[in-house]
Amino acid sequence: MIQFFHVYKAYPGDPPVLSDINLNVEKGEFVFLTGPSGAGKTTLLKLIFCAEKATKGQILVGGRNIARIRESAVPYLRRNIGVVFQDFKLLPHRTVEDNVSFTLDVLGVPRAEAREKVRRMLKLVGLEHKADSFPLRLSGGEQQRVVIARALVNDPTILLADEPTGNLDPALTVEIMDLLTQVNIRGTTVMVATHDATLLARYQKRTVRLERGQIVSDEDGVKAARRMVAG
Amino acid sequence: MSVTAKARYFWRSAAVGLRHSPFVHFIAVTTIAIALFSAGMARGAARVLDNLLSSLGGEVEVTVYLAPELGEDEVHGVRTRVVELSAGEVTLVPPDAALTRLRTELGDLGDALAELPENPLPATLELRVPPEKRNPASLQALAKELRAQPGVSGVDYGEAAVERLSAIARALRFGALVAFAVVLGATVIIVAATLQLAIYARRGEIEIQKLVGATDRFVKAPFLLEGLLQGLLGAGVALLGLWAFGHVLGPTLGSLFAFLLGPGVAAPWVEPRLALELVGAGCGLGLGGSFVAVGRFLRV
Repeated sequence: MIQFFHVYKAYPGDPPVLSDINLNVEKGEFVFLTGPSGAGKTTLLKLIFCAEKATKGQILVGGRNIARIRESAVPYLRRNIGVVFQDFKLLPHRTVEDNVSFTLDVLGVPRAEAREKVRRMLKLVGLEHKADSFPLRLSGGEQQRVVIARALVNDPTILLADEPTGNLDPALTVEIMDLLTQVNIRGTTVMVATHDATLLARYQKRTVRLERGQIVSDEDGVKAARRMVAG
Repeated sequence: MSVTAKARYFWRSAAVGLRHSPFVHFIAVTTIAIALFSAGMARGAARVLDNLLSSLGGEVEVTVYLAPELGEDEVHGVRTRVVELSAGEVTLVPPDAALTRLRTELGDLGDALAELPENPLPATLELRVPPEKRNPASLQALAKELRAQPGVSGVDYGEAAVERLSAIARALRFGALVAFAVVLGATVIIVAATLQLAIYARRGEIEIQKLVGATDRFVKAPFLLEGLLQGLLGAGVALLGLWAFGHVLGPTLGSLFAFLLGPGVAAPWVEPRLALELVGAGCGLGLGGSFVAVGRFLRV
């Protein structure tokens, strides 16, 4: 589903953010991307949804080489990728329902159909009773669930989450991670960037570790969790 | 999404945008209105200037001097040819009438003319040329043709005055064009800068739209509509201002300067064609300003 072949990313005058990244994520897989701050996790996710362009190398998403994608084709690629941000990126002056249906507005889904999909998605994330609330009236966990609903409302094949629990307390973290696991079980490929070791130990999923822009380990869930516990 | 659903979405987004930052939009509408009001005033002033020039041009008279030996029939023949060539109004001034006129013009000194042994003045044809020929090139060509006619001893049309008048008109028109271009350029820059403030406040929305797969055209459309609405509002305000100016100051100006500027000064300042032009210019300014402003925020 996602393949990186010798991918480099560098900004002029700075050392490379990513060096010789080779990675293969299968369809329906759940992958943790971990490493210290500045290791290149966010940049790697940004390359997948074309918020950044690779300096060198090839990236295939759903069989399509996005290193050579035309600017005008980027929106259509993004319609298959849901993105969850640490800082939520919700529109404060729009209701929860409007924030979630924002994606469908962009895609041109008819209003009645969009409303139905939004209701279903809010039910999935447990927020159907908050449809008319404004984001700033919600807790951090609730806001993050709105973001997840927005990212999933279009049934994307890939869900990317950049530190989705970074601002949340442990109870809310579990709530969000359980939700992401559920989404993965339904068939969506999920990549979560996190530096939270307890998450890795608890959920035991494939873990790709980045350090100074390079992949230093790529382990299955059990092995990674064992190492976390030992280390 | 159907075309109507899309249009509805864009209009709704544009309306939200206008509500979102009313002050910034007020500034943009005011800027467009001032620019269009100035352009309308310039057009009005140009029309008054045209009236002035044509009224002064109306004073241009070509005098055709006839040879003294011509008989009555020959004079009539020359007159007919002059009318045919110029398509203007011709008045015959016989030598006696010319002498009487000169005597009147000289006043007390006119009595000295009585001492002359004979009338030295020739018969003349005074020609008022039609408006389309009241320019230096046409007058020069006409004078040349008239001079070549048998029985014509000379032609005079105040060549220097006509050329000076035309040069003044050219300079004024060029100046107005340059001023209009400067005002137009400045307005586009101000409107674009003002709209950028409004769009900056909604950059988060643009970023999210782009991240969830909106095309640039989809993102731009509501902002362009906002610009269009601002242009329409600005044009409306400018037309209202021009109408008020025409009704309040027009008649006063007309009565004060009618002797100099002619009847055009009192004509209505807002005519259907001008209104259409200003609305078109307003829409162009609003759309142009939005287009320039929104482009900066599309890179996500």
